[in-house]
Amino acid sequence: MADCSLDLPGSSNPPSHLGLLRSWDHRRVPPCPALQGTPLSATLSLVMSQCCRKIKDTVQKLASDHKDIHSSVSRVGKAIDRNFDSEICGVVSDAVWDAREQQQQILQMAIVEHLYQQGMLSVAEELCQESTLNVDLDFKQPFLELNRILEALHEQDLGPALEWAVSHRQRLLELNSSLEFKLHRLHFIRLLAGGPAKQLEALSYARHFQPFARLHQREIQVMMGSLVYLRLGLEKSPYCHLLDSSHWAEICETFTRDACSLLGLSVESPLSVSFASGCVALPVLMNIKAVIEQRQCTGVWNHKDELPIEIELGMKCWYHSVFACPILRQQTSDSNPPIKLICGHVISRDALNKLINGGKLKCPYCPMEQNPADGKRIIF
Amino acid sequence: MAVQESAAQLSMTLKVQEYPTLKVPYETLNKRFRAAQKNIDRETSHVTMVVAELEKTLSGCPAVDSVVSLLDGVVEKLSVLKRKAVESIQAEDESAKLCKRRIEHLKEHSSDQPAAASVWKRKRMDRMMVEHLLRCGYYNTAVKLARQSGIEDLVNIEMFLTAKEVEESLERRETATCLAWCHDNKSRLRKMKTCKKALQPSRREPAGRGAPGHGHAGLPARHAHLPVQAPESGVRLHRLPWFFLLLTLCILSDLLDPARWRMLIQQFRYDNYRLHQLGNNSVFTLTLQAGLSAIKTPQCYKEDGSSKSPDCPVCSRSLNKLAQPLPMAHCANSRLVCKISGDVMNENNPPMMLPNGYVYGYNSLLSIRQDDKVVCPRTKEVFHFSQAEKVYIM
Repeated sequence: MADCSLDLPGSSNPPSHLGLLRSWDHRRVPPCPALQGTPLSATLSLVMSQCCRKIKDTVQKLASDHKDIHSSVSRVGKAIDRNFDSEICGVVSDAVWDAREQQQQILQMAIVEHLYQQGMLSVAEELCQESTLNVDLDFKQPFLELNRILEALHEQDLGPALEWAVSHRQRLLELNSSLEFKLHRLHFIRLLAGGPAKQLEALSYARHFQPFARLHQREIQVMMGSLVYLRLGLEKSPYCHLLDSSHWAEICETFTRDACSLLGLSVESPLSVSFASGCVALPVLMNIKAVIEQRQCTGVWNHKDELPIEIELGMKCWYHSVFACPILRQQTSDSNPPIKLICGHVISRDALNKLINGGKLKCPYCPMEQNPADGKRIIF
Repeated sequence: MAVQESAAQLSMTLKVQEYPTLKVPYETLNKRFRAAQKNIDRETSHVTMVVAELEKTLSGCPAVDSVVSLLDGVVEKLSVLKRKAVESIQAEDESAKLCKRRIEHLKEHSSDQPAAASVWKRKRMDRMMVEHLLRCGYYNTAVKLARQSGIEDLVNIEMFLTAKEVEESLERRETATCLAWCHDNKSRLRKMKTCKKALQPSRREPAGRGAPGHGHAGLPARHAHLPVQAPESGVRLHRLPWFFLLLTLCILSDLLDPARWRMLIQQFRYDNYRLHQLGNNSVFTLTLQAGLSAIKTPQCYKEDGSSKSPDCPVCSRSLNKLAQPLPMAHCANSRLVCKISGDVMNENNPPMMLPNGYVYGYNSLLSIRQDDKVVCPRTKEVFHFSQAEKVYIM
């Protein structure tokens, strides 16, 4: 911004030359009436014209500099349009869940259950309120308790967790879980970290290890051995690994896993597994849809009861047995079950019927011949 | 995590899911840039005008006081320019920084550490859920979830809250906010060729129903809008003068019916999504549908419920009902899972058939063997261990 100063003629100050940087106080009192009619001196006129030119140039430059940003901004937009798909086509028609109000309610319920399982209790409560859903208390109760214990564990308070482990001791043993032992161990290590002052307390606490002596003998020996270095300080001893903070993270995970098995839940909520599998499935399905449309063979995906392509989710997602007939490459069903031949090979019933030749059936994988009726239906 | 996602798969998913995450702040940036440019151009022209006047006076033989007053004018215009430019550019800068933050967050998907990658995935699910909750109208929950998850920057909360205000005012049968919104976005709405909303609200104004402060004065300005189309009657109204509109209003008095307001709200919502280039369904819903389809098998829906698996998401209570109308997964290759242990049955754990036709893994049969006998868990029949025959799956 151009600022200029004005020298009044007749004053004792010498006339200034291009004093652009001196600020002009426009609230200054207007010049005294005596000067009003006086014409402007030539020098001042010159200075002022130069100021004017400077002002014009600067503001034009401002406008054009700002305009130059336009190309960068529009390039950002074009890059977004180029690199991301603006439309997701659904697996099924859009309205499959809208049409029934009930489906929306069920979806909100699924979200609430997910939030409870993730431990975001306040958010879940808020959603229940806003969507006027009622969640039974017996559904909520275990999560409230679990959350309380986990929060205590995060703050390195082992009390609630130990209580819980003791009360569920029988079932934990059935699961072959070593949760209780690990909790006792952590407590013992914490006492050790307190230094020589805690020695007696640590020793008396070690009695808690007695029931676990058979299963965890080696670990108990390690911990007892570390007592030797109590005076020196555990950090400098070969037992410093006991003080690792990763034990705390591990105990939270062990607790979550065991508690969920006890409750009959999976560690990850069903909603997050479904969502994660959707993230894998969505681009694959969109690709195949684009290919189908491009090649104009929309007839390929005409039966809307099955996806057109297999989605690889990894072995951990194999929850149910699926048998696909190796000959017809189709999933078996109740109307077309898998049949075991005498030789041990398994094919679907439709394939078996197709292979019957003159009342006899030859296995496609080995030279064994047999009667079609000898095939036995199997159930996975 | 149960589902394995490789880095390449993550990038492909990004391409499909994250358009709204980046497009919405970009559109804001674009809008603010254009507003800034307009402001700067306007103020620059004012400044140039007064400077030109000053120069003209200088070229003559000016008196001091006239020069001084002109200079005052110049300085005032310059300070206005400075203030407006600073405001506009700051707003632009904010938008640009928001875009940048989101891009940085998206880049983190390809982090090497598994802990960081799983945190990113959890945030992704939370982001999509927040957007879904906003679309359903559960604004408080969405804001709470965003805050708890630390993703407030990464979701388009403001856009939905603005829309919420407009919708609530329409529910109260006030058209002021909606008209203001139309005016704010008029250039983009024009491009989309949907000006019907501009006409519809104005029809209600003269009737004075719950539209405070809008009388006939509101109408003359409206007829300057481009050709509009009334959806129900299909009538095209080109720049009608206001009295004609009043006349049509008296005739079409059923326009004040509450159902029209509901339709108007729907129309607004639809146009708002299109304006920001969002689809009608949330990304969360579409992803969930695809995911449920990919896991769904006929066993999840057997009538006697005998083949439900406790780990399978589609077998769980709510998702089972949700996934019913969806297509099933396509499997071209067999994959067998032992019903007892949940382990995969392959060459390391060969499938064995008991005489009743039920198949279990060899290792599981070993574990349930007692005194050389096994009890089939599903039918409770007792068999000899040696009666189990090996089955061959190709």
